[in-house]
Amino acid sequence: MEICIYFQVHQPLRLSQFSIFRKDGGHGGGYFDSELNRKIMEKVAGKCYLPANRLMLELLEKHPEFKVSYSLTGVFIEQCKMFAPEVLESFAALARTGRAEFLSETYHHSLSYLFSDKGEFLEQVKLHKEEISRFAKPSPVFRNTEAMFSNDIAYLVERMGYSGIMAEGLDHLLGWRSPNYLYGVKGCRNMKVLLRNYRLSDDIGYRFSAKWWSEYPLTAGKYASWLENLQGDCTNIFMDYETFGEHHWQDTGIFEFLRHLPPEILRRPNLGFSTPSELVGKVGIRDDIDAPDVTSWADMERDTSAWLGNEMQRDAFAALEKLGPAVKEKGDKDALRTWRMLGNSDHFYYMCTKSLSDQDVHNYFSPYDSPFDAYINYMNVLRDFSDGLKKG
Amino acid sequence: MRIAMLGWEFPPFVSGGLGVHCFELTRALCSRGVEIDFFMPGCGKKPQPSCPGIRIIDVAETKLKPYLFVAKRGQSTGYGDNLLSAVNEYADACASGVVAEAESRGYDVLHAHDWLTAPAASRVKRRLSLPLVQTFHSTEFDRTSYPWDCILGIERQAAADADLIIAVSKRTREQVLRLGARQEKIRVVYNGVDRKRFREIEGERKYADEFKKGRKVVLFLGRLTEQKGPVQLLHAAKLVLEREPGTLFVIAGKGELLPLLISMAMHLGISKNVRFLGFVPDEDQRRIYRIADVYVMPSTSEPFGITALEAMSSGVPVIVSKTSGVSEVVKSAIRVDFWDIDRMADRILSVLQHPPLSRTMVEMANSDLEARTWERVAEETESIYREAAGKAR
Repeated sequence: MEICIYFQVHQPLRLSQFSIFRKDGGHGGGYFDSELNRKIMEKVAGKCYLPANRLMLELLEKHPEFKVSYSLTGVFIEQCKMFAPEVLESFAALARTGRAEFLSETYHHSLSYLFSDKGEFLEQVKLHKEEISRFAKPSPVFRNTEAMFSNDIAYLVERMGYSGIMAEGLDHLLGWRSPNYLYGVKGCRNMKVLLRNYRLSDDIGYRFSAKWWSEYPLTAGKYASWLENLQGDCTNIFMDYETFGEHHWQDTGIFEFLRHLPPEILRRPNLGFSTPSELVGKVGIRDDIDAPDVTSWADMERDTSAWLGNEMQRDAFAALEKLGPAVKEKGDKDALRTWRMLGNSDHFYYMCTKSLSDQDVHNYFSPYDSPFDAYINYMNVLRDFSDGLKKG
Repeated sequence: MRIAMLGWEFPPFVSGGLGVHCFELTRALCSRGVEIDFFMPGCGKKPQPSCPGIRIIDVAETKLKPYLFVAKRGQSTGYGDNLLSAVNEYADACASGVVAEAESRGYDVLHAHDWLTAPAASRVKRRLSLPLVQTFHSTEFDRTSYPWDCILGIERQAAADADLIIAVSKRTREQVLRLGARQEKIRVVYNGVDRKRFREIEGERKYADEFKKGRKVVLFLGRLTEQKGPVQLLHAAKLVLEREPGTLFVIAGKGELLPLLISMAMHLGISKNVRFLGFVPDEDQRRIYRIADVYVMPSTSEPFGITALEAMSSGVPVIVSKTSGVSEVVKSAIRVDFWDIDRMADRILSVLQHPPLSRTMVEMANSDLEARTWERVAEETESIYREAAGKAR
């Protein structure tokens, strides 16, 4: 059984409180709240990125068979450069071990695949690949924003030259089948899909510090023994990197768990580590997955409703998409960058109005008082940006 | 269970949320099998009982009002020389009325609303040793930025004498704590709304369209006092009208600030777009909500704010100040700081200009309203009665 561990690393570029009465004439400088973004980046760097990377480097050096994978959004990398260059350097150090793989995704952590013109999606993936190439070898495995996946996405990504794609291991995609195998995708030639084992991933990502959980406290030994008893070829454990030190604070013991996990896994003879590209290279497919609709790893619904579930979100997204041709026609690099940054999926996530448990998660991450404020602020920015475009 | 309830007003004679609360609460309590004798000042006319299980008993006439208005020129406030003596006079009369009934009726709990009935309740409690529940719908700290010692004194005494206190929001609980009440005897029970009363009836849309003549309407409904924030709204109106000159601001309600607001609208150069309606009787309120494209409640200090729920029930998106009780429990309203004029104008404009925003707010209001029924208020109130009765034993 191959264990594949992957972490998503992202920080959104949050907007300033932008009044309807303010006029920046389309200059992106005032749209983003540099102070807030810096504060959050510095905080999370101190609590999560730096200590987690330090530990990860230690583990890679100590255990030659340990392997790990990441994807860093372009938005994250840019903010590293601006606010915490030592974080980027620490990722580069992981890359230099040759056993940390860095996956492809959209540079802007965007919903650009959902635009009717797929050209923008292709460009953002290309931009991301260029950025990653500066410090790591590009991976042949792709991970779309928030693990968005469908037959069509896989087909497009295969044509771009990728041989693997990540997706949520949803029950309705799998039916009676297990997520612990590689699958092909309906309509694709050689594409392999790596399905996230959400139960085992969420045991760490969500439940690790949950005192109500029957398995609390979770130890590395217990977790490794669960993996040991699984049937299948591979187990994909995917989560946000901020799990370490940010979602679960240091005093929960999450770093100690991470420190002991690789040796606990490696001392079990039937378990070993693989990177996503190694899995795709050596593990064969068992069957095809058929995903006619877009799935993701977000919210209970695991679809696109976290970003486009209500009328405000769809209105804001359509308004953004509509500006695309004018932005490109203008040929202004700054305007193009601003427009793409306004496509961060997070802006739409903050406008979500779902009730029940998911809303609390949305609120936890949101810098706004309500989804209405998120929408209003976004539309104020977009209007100013659009006015600037018209002025020429 | 039989309750002696001491109130001040009862529909159709209503000057604020207190009357609505008493009407709806007694109705919902009755249908739970709680019997209520409702004692209130006589007012010449007989109010409509909210259900058959309630008796409305006039105890005395008084010129006191729950909300003290500044007297107009040439008129007296009607309080005589001394407000306190008027309060005591009514308290004596009311207490005697309750005691006289108590002999044959045998009350389990005494329930008083607001400061005006509190002295009477204290007297009854002393004479009959009944458990006393006191509801604070507001405190002197909310009503004015210059709290009056005389009324503060009455409220402090009420907070001390009550066995249990109901505050209509966490915000009000904080104010009651300032009155010296002990934390452990305060319970928060939020107000409710009867959605059915605000459902659209035929012909109303036509009336609204005729009134609006294609204009967008921003509605304010409340007493025209400092507490309700109409001054802030007019400043915001000025900014809104610079962007959307066709907007109409409808200010419904009466109060001491009316002359000031009228001259303010003239000085701001927006009087063409501000319509003062004066006091709107109960039966017309539902039609007023129907004309609004957005309802704004900019109160500087609002213990609860039932009108926000009424506007939501009428299908109107709502903007409320953060310093309001209702903002603690609704998710479908936009919250602003009452002093942030720029933001208030921004939010008003946004609701008017983006139909997807307005529709999403109205849609989300459903779950807010489902949680705020008078049946729930009555259930929570009844359990507080039982707790008070148990304590006294």
